[in-house]
Amino acid sequence: MMNREGMLNHVAAAAAKTAIWLAAIRKWLLIGIAMLFLGLFILVPLLAVFSEALKKGLQLYFAALTEPDAVSAIKLTLLTAAIAVPINTVFGVIAAWGIAKFQFKGKNILTTLIDIPFAVSPVIAGLVFVLLFGSQGIWGPILEEHNIKIIFSVPGIVLATIFVTFPFVVRELIPIMQDQGTEEEQAAISLGASGWQAFFRVTLPNIKWGLLYGVILCNARAMGEFGAVSVVSGHIRGMTNTVPLHVEILYNEYNFTAAFAVASLLALLALVTLVIKSMVEWKSQKH
Amino acid sequence: MGISICDVSKTFSRFPAVKNIDLEIPTGAFVALLGPSGSGKTTLLRLIAGLESLDSGKILFNGLDYTNKTVKERKVGFVFQHYALFKHMTIFENVSFGLKVRPRRLRPTKKEIKEKVYELLRLVQLEQLADRYPSQLSGGQRQRIALARALAVEPEVLLLDEPFGALDAKVRQELRHWLREIHQKLNITTVFVTHDQEEALEMADTIVVMNKGMAVQIGSPEEVYHRPANAFVYSFLGRVNKLAGAALLETTERVTDLENGLAGYIRPHEIVLKKIPQEQSIPVEVSHVHAVGSTVRIQIKRCAADDYYEAELTTEKYKELGSVKKGDVLYAEFNNIVVFRNDREADQPFEDPKKLSAALH
Repeated sequence: MMNREGMLNHVAAAAAKTAIWLAAIRKWLLIGIAMLFLGLFILVPLLAVFSEALKKGLQLYFAALTEPDAVSAIKLTLLTAAIAVPINTVFGVIAAWGIAKFQFKGKNILTTLIDIPFAVSPVIAGLVFVLLFGSQGIWGPILEEHNIKIIFSVPGIVLATIFVTFPFVVRELIPIMQDQGTEEEQAAISLGASGWQAFFRVTLPNIKWGLLYGVILCNARAMGEFGAVSVVSGHIRGMTNTVPLHVEILYNEYNFTAAFAVASLLALLALVTLVIKSMVEWKSQKH
Repeated sequence: MGISICDVSKTFSRFPAVKNIDLEIPTGAFVALLGPSGSGKTTLLRLIAGLESLDSGKILFNGLDYTNKTVKERKVGFVFQHYALFKHMTIFENVSFGLKVRPRRLRPTKKEIKEKVYELLRLVQLEQLADRYPSQLSGGQRQRIALARALAVEPEVLLLDEPFGALDAKVRQELRHWLREIHQKLNITTVFVTHDQEEALEMADTIVVMNKGMAVQIGSPEEVYHRPANAFVYSFLGRVNKLAGAALLETTERVTDLENGLAGYIRPHEIVLKKIPQEQSIPVEVSHVHAVGSTVRIQIKRCAADDYYEAELTTEKYKELGSVKKGDVLYAEFNNIVVFRNDREADQPFEDPKKLSAALH
């Protein structure tokens, strides 16, 4: 009898061991698949960009980056981001504030409208601006009369970028602000703070990590945007070429090393963005 | 500072939250706005604070029209139910906020601010927590800090929105005493909102009982408890048994001209239970005995009917009665049944509470 029970125990223990083993295998299988997928589709291409860029030596690499057209493309990209990101930050905070802290009719419609740049293809976003401001467009004749150029020039690029990157900050802030409600602001006001004091001393510190996160993503997209900018820019070298457009031109000219060298800048931007992003996430979790 | 509320109304998208309220709060008073949820008590408090704008009526502070003054101009201290402490600031920074946001010429020096903050932290007995963040404090501590923060700007009126609503029973009990003490010390006009009748009866000198946006009764705790204006106030201020129809007629012989639909009310401790039938008692069956605490509560069922009542006895009375268990038959006397003539308009404010006390002997 004892023996039989002992055997049963032994069998049960063995079964339990197998179950643990199976669970471990399942876990590592899932992690393995995810890692393999990541490596194949993200890491390898990223490495390819850098290896291709540096294939013919550092000298050629830096030459490709310091060539006048490349420099002007970099400058234009920085300028575009420098205009688009602050605008989207300010209006993003205003829009998120309005949506999160007030009740009004048409709130859902407004929230949906904010998502349009995400829902629509960037090419269409670009075309919309051509239709509005292009010489054949609705306001084209008036603009031409006053000698204002929007399409195929810098203002068009900035406009298209603003359009495409608008949702990043708002989307990030709405849930945070909704979560926080209005009590802290009301408390601040009841303690004698002015509206601005309440915003800068109470609201802003509460949303700062979310805001930073939104701004980083917005900046990454503003610098990397291709579709919408491509439609409105006209690809004039040294004039209306942003970094992504410059990469395409070089690539189409079979100038692979230079193309990859410039592309590596964008890849680097992506990496830096990701590092800052995870740092922000880590910080905001700590608070 | 005295506050006069004159015929104030407020409607939220067609839902009337506060209807034609008149209320006089003298300087130094300690007033409770008491009512069930949705009775408009919080809205009234926020109207006083200026956190909501009113639709009609007037609010006067010391006789001056403050109706259109902003929250900032009213200089009231407001304490929120969920504390609303600034999460990213330390306790010290929270309490000093109201002083630091003052315009430069009115702002005290750093040293003065520090002294003031520590004085307040001593008042709320939390000096040692100055460098902590709100998330490191317990609920009761947070509420005390919220009060210290509100007091820092030396308001002349203190408004508290369900100040102890989110705390557990023991902490609530402590804080009640403590708030009462602070009120006595500072003698600042205080209005607080609560749905807990015990809290209101224990702390306030004046209770405003609210229901459906109206002030149903305004009076001292004794007044509202012993001379309730209507059935709503009577039932809201304590445990109550309702007697209707046959049950009412059977227990109150003297009330003969009762109109249909009228009900009588009796507090559990007014029901006297005996083991031997008396002249006017009716037989009842015990359905549950709850003997924990200083009083014993016995649920009884009228024999030959399906009406359940709750009787409350002191432990001594219960001992006199002898042991009682489920299923026993006892004889109950219903003393002091209260009938409200105006019961059917119980939702209306009363001017003439013609209360009829129908004692059996």
